Amino acid sequence: MLLHYVLRRLAFFIGAMFIASVLIFVLIRAAGGNVAAVVLGRDASPEAINALATEYGLDRPWAVQYLDWITGMMGGDLGQSFRTGESVADLVVSRLPISVPLAGAGLVLAILIAIPAGTYAARNAGRSSGTLIALISQIGIAVPVFWAGVLLSLLFGVQLGWLPTGGWTPWNVSVLGAIQSLVLPVLALGLVMAASLSRYVRTAVLDVMNQDYVRTARATGMSQTRALLTVGLPNAALPIVTFLGLLIAELIGGTVIIETVFSLPGLSRMILSNVAAREVIVVQSTVMLIIVFVMFVNLVVDLLYGLLDPRIRVAG
Amino acid sequence: MPQADTSNQNATVPEASPHRRRRRRISNASLLVGLALTSVFFIIALVSFFYVPHDPNMPDVRNRLLPFGSPGHLFGTDVLGRDIASQLMVGAQTSLLVGVGGAAIALVLGTIAGLAAASSGKLVDETIMRGADVLLSIPGIVTALVLAATIGSGAGTTILALTAFFTPSFTRVIRSAALTVLEENYITAARLYGRDRIFILARHVVPNIAGVMIVQFTLYFAVGILVESSLSYLGVGVSRPSMSWGLILNEAQQQVGVSSPLAMWPGLAIVLVVLGLNLLGDGLRDVLDPKLNGRRS
Amino acid sequence: MSAVPAVQVRDLHVRAGGLTAVRGVSFTIPAGGRMGLVGESGSGKTLTALSLMGLLPVGLRAQGEILHDGVDVTKLSDAQLSRRRGRTLSMVFQDPLSALNPVRRVGHQIASVIRRHKGVGSNEAGQQALSLVQQMRLPRPERIMHAYPHELSGGQRQRVMIAMALACYPQLIIADEPTTALDVTVQKQVLRLLNEAVSERGCGLLMITHDLPIVAAMCETVAVMYAGRIVEMGPVSEVFTAPRHPYTRGLLDSQPTMDNIAIDGSSRLPSIPGMVPPLDGLPAGCAFHPRCPRADDRCRREAPMLDGGGRRAACWHPLEGTLTGTNAA
Repeated sequence: MLLHYVLRRLAFFIGAMFIASVLIFVLIRAAGGNVAAVVLGRDASPEAINALATEYGLDRPWAVQYLDWITGMMGGDLGQSFRTGESVADLVVSRLPISVPLAGAGLVLAILIAIPAGTYAARNAGRSSGTLIALISQIGIAVPVFWAGVLLSLLFGVQLGWLPTGGWTPWNVSVLGAIQSLVLPVLALGLVMAASLSRYVRTAVLDVMNQDYVRTARATGMSQTRALLTVGLPNAALPIVTFLGLLIAELIGGTVIIETVFSLPGLSRMILSNVAAREVIVVQSTVMLIIVFVMFVNLVVDLLYGLLDPRIRVAG
Repeated sequence: MPQADTSNQNATVPEASPHRRRRRRISNASLLVGLALTSVFFIIALVSFFYVPHDPNMPDVRNRLLPFGSPGHLFGTDVLGRDIASQLMVGAQTSLLVGVGGAAIALVLGTIAGLAAASSGKLVDETIMRGADVLLSIPGIVTALVLAATIGSGAGTTILALTAFFTPSFTRVIRSAALTVLEENYITAARLYGRDRIFILARHVVPNIAGVMIVQFTLYFAVGILVESSLSYLGVGVSRPSMSWGLILNEAQQQVGVSSPLAMWPGLAIVLVVLGLNLLGDGLRDVLDPKLNGRRS
Repeated sequence: MSAVPAVQVRDLHVRAGGLTAVRGVSFTIPAGGRMGLVGESGSGKTLTALSLMGLLPVGLRAQGEILHDGVDVTKLSDAQLSRRRGRTLSMVFQDPLSALNPVRRVGHQIASVIRRHKGVGSNEAGQQALSLVQQMRLPRPERIMHAYPHELSGGQRQRVMIAMALACYPQLIIADEPTTALDVTVQKQVLRLLNEAVSERGCGLLMITHDLPIVAAMCETVAVMYAGRIVEMGPVSEVFTAPRHPYTRGLLDSQPTMDNIAIDGSSRLPSIPGMVPPLDGLPAGCAFHPRCPRADDRCRREAPMLDGGGRRAACWHPLEGTLTGTNAA
């Protein structure tokens, strides 16, 4: 049964990646028209366009190009930039030391705020303290990430002068400088994410608290915290999977925006400049990487919950 | 990327009508505040179609960077002397258009897909829902970036990205709401009378999930405004001569630096409108969502 | 068993915001005593029970005095209460499928109650759990121990719930509609088991139900609740044969028996006219007066209190005399 479940999830993972990759590929080819012409711009001669198309194999049938792209991706070859000839893989890797710490620390900060705040709000629902927390997160949800970034740099960068308002000091130049240039971005990302997450946590905890089996656990002498953690949490498969989807979507979106606010030359800045330059191969591969990452995280969580929940194992 | 909170905010409270009453008071307050904020936004956006104090794209070098409260320029002017109040008003248009557009198209598509999934056999249901799962695992901003890279940026692209981003969520919500209704006995009765599927869906299911649909629409409208302003801020949304609150902020930051007071107004506008829509949606949920009324002890 | 009552409730109020859902409930269950608490949905039965457990939903508060195990439960911290829940005071819930943890084996769930309160090792706790499962007359006990709740039948699950509630020989068991979610054929078996298990251990029992025959079969005393108040209370044999409150009378009359269910439909089951009033719209005076055939001006003005004695009713115009017929089950 468990094996059946694992196989099903794996099959879905592979199928989903296939569909997503086809979608992206077709979208880019169909909507972008002649890639080579787009890249070279309106004034390019037909010869130049043809030369570029031949060089990058863009004149071959789509199916061949697609297979080429996919097999390349699996082997770690993400293609090259048209303009600079740099390999996409190198481009991506060079940006990770900025984007990964930013997203990671932002995520941790958001979770550290959201889980206690949401739980507190749930436990005190109907009291003024709980309502206050709920209200704060309601307002926080309405704040766009970029505005939070602007406000924070106004306060800590301009008014107080404690931290840089933007720019990046590479790790190998100064570790302290790198951390300093990340503090405000992380703060902005974490705080804004915490607002919507804490609201979600509040709902989930309220829901779980009112489950009969949690009440049974309490009625047999378990403390509320323990009942929530040892009975509620393992049963909260669906909310947690949804929570995770929400988290990743928020994280990726937020990171893209925050890197722009604070002029950090991270992954998303790279994508954005390539979007502007219509570097379709770079965009196509990087976007696919992000999707693979998201789907992989979802797969891992699904599998973990298959292990935990006997009902899932039985249902197959 | 922000998402609407589709989860049910109202966990059951056993035999606790007084508690629910209190919630109702709170939700009435949120309904009123939400309605007020949203109305102001709608009025400003609608008025801007017919009247704006100045052309938001018209430079006026003699009146550059006027402060807040200047005569003739209530919210001041930007680095080129363009009137901020007018820019904010026209920006409201874009927020309205893109937010309503994205949420409405997704609502229609999601309702069709959700109803089809709920009322068909396992194969159709599984296909639609797994498809929705795939789409859901593509972050909305990624979709927006891909579309901007291929078909170019603009209000239409943003609406398209929002549609792709919202439709799977709507599909899920509509399906589960429809399933609840389809389990009711009167549906069985209608089937026994020989009513066909379309009739049952149109006559029984849709009216019963209309509340859910309105609430979801309101919440995703708010998300749409957030996403639109973010994309415009990033430079992959609308650009001049169109106007967006995200764009105003972007320009203010680039041309004047973060200390510009110009950065305050569009941000504040977004917060108020999104807050208003979310409060409205929450308030409506308590009033409209039939699942919450008459829950027994 | 000591002579200390299993529980003594004095003037219990349950409030939420400005509303009061339970309005001054008092009763005593002596050690080993069995009381039935009956009333319609929303009358405050379950909230009364949850107040005893200290498990009211967030936003609701219990006021008054609940003496149990030598202390006032309402004054205890949650940690102090936790040490009593499941040990001196336990509860059987309505729906055993949702009340058992779906992701834990049944044996583990019973054993964890024992471990928590008796401080024994997991082997010992497992042994005791197994012996409890055997006492619940569950078939193939070893297999039941390793099963997940969804693999058991409704009756089996409820027996597991009862085993968990009995695990530590509590002074009081609260059973909240324990058979409502079960098949009719299984209800009797489960009730019989609960009955025996409670007698053997000398536990007190608070049976919450709207099913009067269950109370008649299992309880010594009965309290009838209406709109957050106890309107009549006394020994089961007397209350059911000679109800004094018109509401109790109405409840008894609306119980289906073989007599009043005529197959040809010529007779109709009597029912109480009107509806239970909402908490924010309680009528002045006696809350029952809009539905009461005997109501007069006084009932509309002043709320009657429970009178004294062993047979108590809160009514200005109590009924007299004994019911005829077989309604008293």
